Amino acid sequence: MTCDSAIELSDLYLYGELASHQEEELEQHLHGCDTCQKALEGRRALHRGFDTLRLDPPPELLVECRRNLLRHRSMDRRPSPWIGFATMWQSFGMTARPLGALALVALGFFASRLIPREPGLANQALVMSDPVATTIRSVQPDAAGHVQIAVDETRRRLITGSLTDGAIERLMLTAARDESNDGLRVESMEILKNRATSADVRDALLIALRNDPNPGVRFKALEGLKGMAGQPEVRKTLSYVLQNDQNPGVRIQAIDLLTQHQDSGLVGMLQQVVSKESNHYVRQRCEKVLQELNASVGTF
Amino acid sequence: MAQPAAAMVSARLAPKLEETELIRAVQQGDQSAFEALVRSYDQSVLGLAMNLLRSPEDARDAYQEAFLRVYKNIHLFRFDCSFYTWLYRIVTNVCLDHLRKRKIRREEPASVETGDGAIDRTYSVEEDRAGGDPERSLWNRQLSSRIGVVLDQLTPRERMVFELRHYQGMRLRTIGEILETTEEAAKNCLFRATQKMRAGLGDFV
Repeated sequence: MTCDSAIELSDLYLYGELASHQEEELEQHLHGCDTCQKALEGRRALHRGFDTLRLDPPPELLVECRRNLLRHRSMDRRPSPWIGFATMWQSFGMTARPLGALALVALGFFASRLIPREPGLANQALVMSDPVATTIRSVQPDAAGHVQIAVDETRRRLITGSLTDGAIERLMLTAARDESNDGLRVESMEILKNRATSADVRDALLIALRNDPNPGVRFKALEGLKGMAGQPEVRKTLSYVLQNDQNPGVRIQAIDLLTQHQDSGLVGMLQQVVSKESNHYVRQRCEKVLQELNASVGTF
Repeated sequence: MAQPAAAMVSARLAPKLEETELIRAVQQGDQSAFEALVRSYDQSVLGLAMNLLRSPEDARDAYQEAFLRVYKNIHLFRFDCSFYTWLYRIVTNVCLDHLRKRKIRREEPASVETGDGAIDRTYSVEEDRAGGDPERSLWNRQLSSRIGVVLDQLTPRERMVFELRHYQGMRLRTIGEILETTEEAAKNCLFRATQKMRAGLGDFV
């Protein structure tokens, strides 16, 4: 094998995609060729570099995707109202059609003021008020000497509905993710924590428990997950929290939830925490649990 | 080398019978079975879309389009290949469509021009959030800008094969099955992709 062909094959070699005879030939060549060995090391470094380019989608994006999919599917299942309308329109006589068109214009005018923008909220009590905030987004002159001003208006709407309504739940989940408003997140979590049986809510609680910067929100998420401490995904997050959360109170609650159920990894993890934990009370709590489990406090 | 997605998926495929029952239930209109099926695969599907399209918005659109196609066409799935291969055929087609449209329109590129040079769109979002140390940020920005340029030089198919082999850890034979081509063609595609990547990033990484 020549150096040129050895270098040419090195990427596929690193991917383990060479036929066995090619692999053998290449390895023999590398054994006696320092230049190609160095070139292979270079490729290996480059592959490690490729690894750093990997993007992991944020957990919130996955939650949003699942929610959108659910919404679109439920919309797909609804029968189209236009089929019925088209049949009705055909049955109108030619003289009745202009009157019908006029009625539709009027209906559209009023509907645009009354129908909520969020699909699925049509049956909820709804109140619209005047604009509460206005922001000028851009200004642009036109050829006629006028100015085009793009204005963003924020309107406040009051929406009332049951948490079992998918649209209400989605809004609550959006509120629970609002990074700019800690109070809103705490209040949303307080309400959502009783709905942890919904998969989307449970995911949101897990994400908040792991990532929310506000300990109040994390406490609420812990409360919501109380009844699910036996689930593997929940236990994984609780273990992470116990080892990484900055707040000792949150860590202690995580211990309480983790010890509701026992698994093979619990003792080892508590021993690890005891060896690293800086907070006296958390350490003591772990030691107590270990004693109750008849396990040694230290690792050997 | 990163091979988590393939490992994860093959682990999920272990209870094969269970998945077959799940698919049959979906074919009979069971909504909760569909949700369970989606949840088995959607994390790796979103990861693939995110890495290929390098934009959260596009990845979200591709995710939705792919699973809606699965939902609408699952009655056509006849178990003559694995569900995994069938699903990834749909997902890769959706992503390839996105990449091809982007090539044609030159719209929503992976990198955007700013006063500080080209910056990868996705990275810049993360960077704003991270607020990490400035030296690391600068290095990351430079690397991101180079990634945008290099990725743009690959054909959509080269991008796909590289992504599936390097990041998703799939064997070239499987990639060939998914892309409905031969293992040899997938190998050539990977070869070209790594050559281009090396030429573009070799002195950087």
